[in-house]
Amino acid sequence: MEWIVLVMIAAIKMGTPLLFGTLGGVISERGGVINLGMEGLMLVGALTAFVVDLNLNSKFAAMVFAAMAAGLVTTIHAIVCISLRANQIASGLALALFGGGLSGLFGDSLVGKTVESLNNLPIPGLSAIPAIGPIFFNQDIMVYFSYFCVVLIWFILFKTTLGLNIRSMGEAPDVCDALGLSVFRYRYGCVIVGGMLIGIGGAYFPLVLTSFWVDNLTAGRGWIAVALVIFAFWHPFKALLGAYLFGAAIALQLRVQTMGIAIPSYFLEMFPYILTIVVLTMVTIRNNKRGVSVMPAALGLAFFRGEKH
Amino acid sequence: MIYLTLEKRLHFSPVTRISVSLIAIAVAILVGGIFLFAVGVNPFHAYGLVIEQIFMDYWGWQDLLVKIIPFLLTGIAVALAAQMKLWNIGAEGQLYLGAVAATWVALNWGNELSIWMMIPIMILSAMVSGACWAFIPGFLKAQFGVNEIITTLLLNYVAISWVDYLLYGPWRDPGSNNFPVTREFPDSAQLPAFGNTSIHFGLIIGLMVIFLVYFILEKTEVGFKVKVIGDNIYAAKYSGFNIKWITLAIVMISGALAGIAGMAEVAGVHYRLKQNFSINYGYTGIIVAWLGRNHPIAIIFTAFFLAVVFVSGELMQLEFSLPIAMIYLFEGIILFSVLGSEIFTEYKIKIKNVVT
Repeated sequence: MEWIVLVMIAAIKMGTPLLFGTLGGVISERGGVINLGMEGLMLVGALTAFVVDLNLNSKFAAMVFAAMAAGLVTTIHAIVCISLRANQIASGLALALFGGGLSGLFGDSLVGKTVESLNNLPIPGLSAIPAIGPIFFNQDIMVYFSYFCVVLIWFILFKTTLGLNIRSMGEAPDVCDALGLSVFRYRYGCVIVGGMLIGIGGAYFPLVLTSFWVDNLTAGRGWIAVALVIFAFWHPFKALLGAYLFGAAIALQLRVQTMGIAIPSYFLEMFPYILTIVVLTMVTIRNNKRGVSVMPAALGLAFFRGEKH
Repeated sequence: MIYLTLEKRLHFSPVTRISVSLIAIAVAILVGGIFLFAVGVNPFHAYGLVIEQIFMDYWGWQDLLVKIIPFLLTGIAVALAAQMKLWNIGAEGQLYLGAVAATWVALNWGNELSIWMMIPIMILSAMVSGACWAFIPGFLKAQFGVNEIITTLLLNYVAISWVDYLLYGPWRDPGSNNFPVTREFPDSAQLPAFGNTSIHFGLIIGLMVIFLVYFILEKTEVGFKVKVIGDNIYAAKYSGFNIKWITLAIVMISGALAGIAGMAEVAGVHYRLKQNFSINYGYTGIIVAWLGRNHPIAIIFTAFFLAVVFVSGELMQLEFSLPIAMIYLFEGIILFSVLGSEIFTEYKIKIKNVVT
């Protein structure tokens, strides 16, 4: 029984960068812009956080700078896709390459250094609940921040006019334009805020999970987050569920690896990726059966005033 | 107030398109120079070295013509799928699987068969292996409409883990001092080179594949159907094309072509399977295809351009000990720049002076 709690604690930790990434993707895609470059943005966030923590010795500053750096890099994606109306998928791939290259280039001299990892901060009272307490309420402050983000994003998207406008940008930008809303401003906002969250997700790697920097630190987790956005039906609560499910898969994989079961670790490493493909297939089949599409209707399309796509 | 507005071009010319692309590449080289400067390398010195040691050098040209080979093949693989508006981001994994199959053939039959038998069998097995790997995303896409961008990409990680398993486990050369490499291929399993250069026969294979794809797309019924599906899927459905089968077939052929790239690298350059033998060659195929607008003949030129980027990157690695990530950064900059420029092939900027 106890090992399940241990795995679940690890699942939340492993799932947190995925959660931030997925939330960032949800915001961006609700506004109508796909961000395939999550892997690159996470790496930019991770390196920035590591460098800032190394020099300023402040986790908070590390997180803020990671968000700003990722936000800045996403702005290129926003300019190319929104103002210059280029293909969002190709631009996302460029972002993945660019971010990976940028972090690899500037992180090259930092390999081998370490930072202290963020302490757990038990919430008084709640952390004493059996099982649930240690799993959810004896975590670090970035995990609590991710809970807060889930609720905040849900509230903004579904309970405010701002959220209604954002969702409309992803469904029918031409109608929004006719109503006098600036498609450019909303979409830029969504892409950049989304990118900042993805950057925070990246920051979680050096600040909590690894404490060091290596080239390609995120090892494909950014791409899993891209799939999770679809899995979560572009909804923050389901994003939480999906992120922890995959966090559990990664935690289990690591657990089995340390238990010394005679499966070569290379096969265990495949597990989260194969699971993503299986789950994505099931979600797609279920969607086909229902015959409804929850995907934002204008997702991936550039907006031209007065022109049909 | 002065406004910048976009106005649709009435005349569309290939000259505009090519000149806009060239300007975009010039911008990318400029921005790349800024990053070189940021890591303490004088960009003028660096670019000077590229001209001197690559373009004005016998060995430099030899390196370019070796490096272009995987890009021709992964480029055409991605472009073929893109003709149907399918994204094959999985060329990297298909390339690895192609190399695995070719390696298996080389290590098991290499001593028994002559080179005339071995090379065709290795190519065929690499194609089958790449195609089978691409079958997974192809089938999921054709049957259920599962997003192929994500499935093809995630399978790359699975393929690389698989190769790592082989190299650290059953296939490791006992005499390699624990390096993750296989035994060297026997002579009959090595792609011959031209004269005493290092340019191997893969160059001919790559060009042949490109012309074959060009011929199929332009001159056959299947090619016509592929293009119709890419242009207008509703028209294709209405005409009764079997979209499922064509989708599956094209994704699998795309995987087969990427598989050949893997075979050409292990049999033509390294003569063994080793870890990280592909430096993002599969992903680079996406850039090659995009820059060439998925046109087979244009891909020959864009593959050459990416070969220049890679050989330059390796030169920077040697001269200034910059990491390989420099190449990925450059690729990202080039793709951003070219994407951002595309709007100017269809629109021109007008300066409007509005009196308020």
